[in-house]
Amino acid sequence: MQAEIRADLSENLSTAWRHLGEAGSWWTGAERVAIAAETRQAAHCRLCAARKQAASASMITGEHDRAVDLPAPAIEAIHRIRTDSGRLGESWYRSVIAAGLTEEQYIELLSVVAIVVATDTFHLAAGLPLPVLPGVRPGQPSRRRPAGAKPGLAWMPTLAPDDRTADEPDLYRDHPGPRERIGGNVQLALSLVPDSMIHWWDMFETMYLPGPAMRDFGRDYRAISHAQIEMLAARVAALNQCLY
Amino acid sequence: MDYVFEGLMDGTTDTGVPAAAELIALAEAAIARDTDRLERARTAVVKRLGPDAMIDAAAVIAGFDGITRIADATGIPLEPPRAADTVDLRARLAIDRFTLAKW
Repeated sequence: MQAEIRADLSENLSTAWRHLGEAGSWWTGAERVAIAAETRQAAHCRLCAARKQAASASMITGEHDRAVDLPAPAIEAIHRIRTDSGRLGESWYRSVIAAGLTEEQYIELLSVVAIVVATDTFHLAAGLPLPVLPGVRPGQPSRRRPAGAKPGLAWMPTLAPDDRTADEPDLYRDHPGPRERIGGNVQLALSLVPDSMIHWWDMFETMYLPGPAMRDFGRDYRAISHAQIEMLAARVAALNQCLY
Repeated sequence: MDYVFEGLMDGTTDTGVPAAAELIALAEAAIARDTDRLERARTAVVKRLGPDAMIDAAAVIAGFDGITRIADATGIPLEPPRAADTVDLRARLAIDRFTLAKW
């Protein structure tokens, strides 16, 4: 039995997947596809499996079973985010930054990992074959950091909606207005790299709900109800030990 | 309608949400990457709610499998009013145990 995927979901999944092969803000298309490949590889890593069983991941040292040639702190970040995200702490984050990953590279890497995890989980849950990794497109990273990004909210700087300048893309969907992305702090989490934030949220909102639909309890926008959606969201958060 | 939040944490207590057992079984099998359980869970959701509901449930499960990683890997905090409003609920459900053994 193969169910039909609604058109907006199919389109946004395809768009997010295609973006993985394109140059981002801080990684090339080839590097982004390598991050995607390593995200899948992490599920088979013996070091990650041992750390997952330990009372603290810091108690177990060793080498990751890696599939691609990326810098060591990138491999560490991909593997931990993929296999043990519920136990990540700020000291671990500071260690991968001290090892040479920039904050902007980390955020873009995180968005790629999240897109791969969500895409693969969807296909698995729906009984569909996992998509083949996208082809690499030529191009260089833009290396643009939002001028208004400020430290204080998260481990890394974030760009609040009111600090966005006209040079930045419309990451909070201010236009044509009213602002659509006015939700919780989690919407700011990837804002240090606006294009990465947009790639993730455009896909996520078609998997879950766009902000206005989420807040409209007067009607259902999916084939399951608001209550069923929120129950699933909360159960997945609990299974992943997510504090947020 | 009052819902029973304990079911969100233990996966077995009836939450009061329609078709909760079928939907939670799908979520748990998907996060566990258990293909045998997934096949049965998918069939149960389709039988109870239909194929479109199964797809939408799979999409929500997948989306939150991704966004929980974003939240946890950035240290993004709850908004202060939301944190204050949920103090009792979080204590009752022992959610704050997730702050232990961070590294």
